[in-house]
Amino acid sequence: MTSETSPSVSGDEASDPKPSPEDQLASLALSETDGPASGSPRENNRHNEIESAEEEVQTNSAAPGLAVVENSGEAVRRGRIGGVLWARTNSEPEADGPESPSSSGYAGERGSSSASSAGSGIYEIAEVRDDEVVDGVSDSQAAWVPGKRHVDEDDASISWRKRKKHYFILSNSGKPIYSRHGDEHKLAGFSATLQAIISFVENGGDRVKLVRAGKHQVVFLVKGPIYLVCISCTEEPYESLRMQLELIYGQMLLILTKSVNRCFEKNPKFDMTPLLGGTDVVFSSLIHSFSWNPATFLHAYTCLPLAYATRQAAGAILQDVADSGVLFAILMCKHKVISLVGAQKASLHPDDILLLSNFVMASESFRTSESFSPICLPRYNPMAFLYAYVHYFDIDTYLMLLTTSSEAFYHLKDCRIRIEMVLLKSSVLSEIQRSMLDGGMRVEELPLDPLPRSGSFSPHLGQHTLPTDSPDGFRELYGGIGGPAGLWHFIYRSIFLDQYVSSEFSAPISSPRQQKRLYRAYQKLYASMHERGIGPHKTQFRRDENYVLLCWVTQDFELYAAFDPLADKALAIKTCNRVCQWVKDVENEIFLLGASPFSW
Amino acid sequence: MGLASASTASGAPEGMQLCIFDLRRGQNEGQELDKILFFYPADLPFSAQFSVIGLSEGLITFTRIFSPEAACDAIEAERHSHVFCEAEPDIWMVMIVEKSKEYEAMWRTDALRKVLKEVHSLFVMFHGSIRAMLDKDPGGVLARSHLYPFIMDYLGAFEKRSPFDECCWDFLVGKKLLMPSFRDCLKERGTVQMLTVGREAAIEVQSLVRVLESCAGTLPCHSLILFQDLLVSSTLSPDDTVNLFAYAVLRLTPRALSSGASSWSYLRKGTTSNVSSSSILSHSGAVPEQFHSLHDNSPAGDDSSHVIRPLKQGKWSKGKDGFLATDIWGAEPSTGVSATPTVFLRQTEERMFLCAHQHKSLTLIFLIPVSSVLNGEQGVSTVKQQVLESVSLKLLKVEEKLSKGWGGENAYHVSGYRYLLVDGDRNVSRASPPGKVITLSKESLLALSKLREEVDSEKSRAQWDSAGHEKELEVSIRAKNNAWVIARVTRGKELYMVLEKANETLLYASDAVEKFSNRYCSGAFSLN
Repeated sequence: MTSETSPSVSGDEASDPKPSPEDQLASLALSETDGPASGSPRENNRHNEIESAEEEVQTNSAAPGLAVVENSGEAVRRGRIGGVLWARTNSEPEADGPESPSSSGYAGERGSSSASSAGSGIYEIAEVRDDEVVDGVSDSQAAWVPGKRHVDEDDASISWRKRKKHYFILSNSGKPIYSRHGDEHKLAGFSATLQAIISFVENGGDRVKLVRAGKHQVVFLVKGPIYLVCISCTEEPYESLRMQLELIYGQMLLILTKSVNRCFEKNPKFDMTPLLGGTDVVFSSLIHSFSWNPATFLHAYTCLPLAYATRQAAGAILQDVADSGVLFAILMCKHKVISLVGAQKASLHPDDILLLSNFVMASESFRTSESFSPICLPRYNPMAFLYAYVHYFDIDTYLMLLTTSSEAFYHLKDCRIRIEMVLLKSSVLSEIQRSMLDGGMRVEELPLDPLPRSGSFSPHLGQHTLPTDSPDGFRELYGGIGGPAGLWHFIYRSIFLDQYVSSEFSAPISSPRQQKRLYRAYQKLYASMHERGIGPHKTQFRRDENYVLLCWVTQDFELYAAFDPLADKALAIKTCNRVCQWVKDVENEIFLLGASPFSW
Repeated sequence: MGLASASTASGAPEGMQLCIFDLRRGQNEGQELDKILFFYPADLPFSAQFSVIGLSEGLITFTRIFSPEAACDAIEAERHSHVFCEAEPDIWMVMIVEKSKEYEAMWRTDALRKVLKEVHSLFVMFHGSIRAMLDKDPGGVLARSHLYPFIMDYLGAFEKRSPFDECCWDFLVGKKLLMPSFRDCLKERGTVQMLTVGREAAIEVQSLVRVLESCAGTLPCHSLILFQDLLVSSTLSPDDTVNLFAYAVLRLTPRALSSGASSWSYLRKGTTSNVSSSSILSHSGAVPEQFHSLHDNSPAGDDSSHVIRPLKQGKWSKGKDGFLATDIWGAEPSTGVSATPTVFLRQTEERMFLCAHQHKSLTLIFLIPVSSVLNGEQGVSTVKQQVLESVSLKLLKVEEKLSKGWGGENAYHVSGYRYLLVDGDRNVSRASPPGKVITLSKESLLALSKLREEVDSEKSRAQWDSAGHEKELEVSIRAKNNAWVIARVTRGKELYMVLEKANETLLYASDAVEKFSNRYCSGAFSLN
């Protein structure tokens, strides 16, 4: 009995004749674990209860062997999707010869994740580095190491409590499903506390959204039987944190579909962790993107800059393929879209692109060989699996072909071969590589005067907007202080295209820390402009000790621009107008036009 | 039937709950009731009260896991906001407001928290701290019997009649407590509003203050002078000034005296049965056992258990000698003379007699240490007479000067602007007159309220991140309805503004702020 009480507080309401709020929130006494004020016998008693509960949970989960867990997880998935899949286990008997697809990313990771929790040497290094950098001091994309951290921590650890951002997924019975920091199993008691808070408020006929305490915000999101919680002491606004939880939920659906809810209908105490086994990297990389990828708050995707003809060539071959029964064909380079094409009337939501590309990029196994994996696009259809054929052309460039048929592997493989041939022949792949090296729009290159437009923005695409032919010399002109009028950076989002373009980071926004700070400032500006109920506002000017930020929202586009905090208002406004003009002049190259599957 | 039944009938979906509890108390099963020091509405079933306290306590404990230095500030749920305030160590006040569409219930948490802080500060000013009361009477009866009437009287100020009341006073049924909403975003509670005086008048005021100080002889006397509802001068510390100013505006100024009377009349219209000062008291007719010891309607000078209700409405009146009198503090049994009110000063922790004198629009409050007056009421009245004799001439003169220079209730209206100016260091604010603010559209007010919420959180972050480092911020937003909504924070000063009929360009809006700043804020918000 006692073992069950704490992790599922709602459960013991039925058994308890007179449930008092004290009992329901008993587990909230967690903080007493090492608080100085844990004097009263009652508090200690609560604490013991939790501890014993935690132990119980741990032994419970240890009891069925790993293999059993995996199998049951597999069974659930297969049962639901009603077909035999290629992927998900390493010991796939159908795998024949070198040509066959490997298992999908997270299945491949499964073994290694249990190894890593035992604490391999590499992991420890990663941890140390993370301690120093990820939580705000000087983390960078380069320094970021995928995967789960701090597995040795739990809610009793001071270090764990001091982490800047926690994300939790739990079930409505209080069972932990995912935690960004620390070992889920050790966090069973904590998870039960979160569940207790949610259900306590729910019992009062309400739904808790946010708890504030000093710098901290605790954000709750309830999705049927799945509860998501974020605990953050960053400056991000509530709306942003809630959207992040929505994306995490979406990422979970991408892996499992919404039909996982049925497992909870059958068995409220259903343990979902095995189903997500090995997907830690997917979630941690998504969470990492919350601190650098504007797509996570703009709900738009970005394209790799390419000459119009090059992108056309890529789009044409993808379209060819789409006509042969492929639902979506997406060619991407890292998180940037090169081209994408959908079957008739099928449209792809930018959030789905984000989640799918995150899933693919985070899972190491996709890189090593072509793969065929069931995935769900939560915005397209949260109930159903699609099948994704994934192939990397080079280290950054990959093709994703999505279909509804689980039998389509060989067909998609043929498609890929055709695409690859065309891409090689039309030198699209080398153009991609070049674009990667050259980067995108730079504030230093903002055309100074309204000369006749060349229709091209960067030197590597042929015509250059500058009178001089030495862009480097031009950059020196500004001496690392950004573009004209103190322009440091901008993001332009086209509303009709669902796409955005972000200028390259350049001095003085050069360190990862500064980039993250600017990212957060944009995020706040976005939330402020799109305030629910009253937004969107039309214009916003914001000056603080770090920046002058200007935002301009029209029916067609949104512009976010960052300037030197001492920038002159009038000049900044003029510069924003020029940025908009510049973007329009080069939209052929920075955006994917026309060929996309959106139904307008 | 009186008011009580009418309001109880409509009281079912309560718009607001307010509780005070002591985290140290009621630690054992079955003793939860002991935690609760105050609960509104008092007739809420105990189970419901416990669930409010249980959740609050649970979240205070929970948030301390991550934020030991600052526990739970607020809970936002779909249908309610819970606002927390740790008024004294372990003594928590929690206000829960319902988000109902009917009353456009959108607010800033900080504005609500200021309500909690204000009622607590006033309570401490009159009764001392809650902890001290609990130390004195560990059973809690003393604290509860003081908190209950005090807060109920205070809440009376938020009692709004139904929207229909504007045209028909008889609709008292939809009565609710209306807490500050987005419509109050151009106001700042917990600040003082000052009268701007010319040089000549300032000199007169100065000399009046000096005379006041001197006539008290060796007594360390303090004074506070108000003209209408505006502060003219204060010799008190900023905190004490804010508290006493708030009390004066609530109960002592000419407007407070007359509105107390007039609201009395229409609130009581046709009902003679229930004469408690505020109908809110009768509203919660069913007072639970813990409050039974309280005699809310007992006449003055009852006995030792008499609870003083300094915020009771309609209890102050102006005597022939110009002094404001009240029987709230009871009377001296021997003489039948009303006892002089006393207050605690926060700064000196001293108990002071509060004497208020009014001449036309001028209210003069002076405070004399209780310890320095030897023979009780007689001594006080001697001092009062002395003061009156020595200042009466000056008083007339000052009143005349101020009245002459007074521009009326729209004196601080600046055409084209709707603004709020807050000097956080001095606890002073000035704003567009309410009659002008109501001309703003709902959209503009909502946008400003949201912007203020953003600024609130930026400010509190700056406070946590770097103590002593003051936030510098400038935000100008052109809202959907084309109004400019502006916030400026610099060197402890804040300026909030709505420009509705302004040009579309940002430069125009900035220019307007610049002009305002140069003209009315001595350039505090100017960029150059």
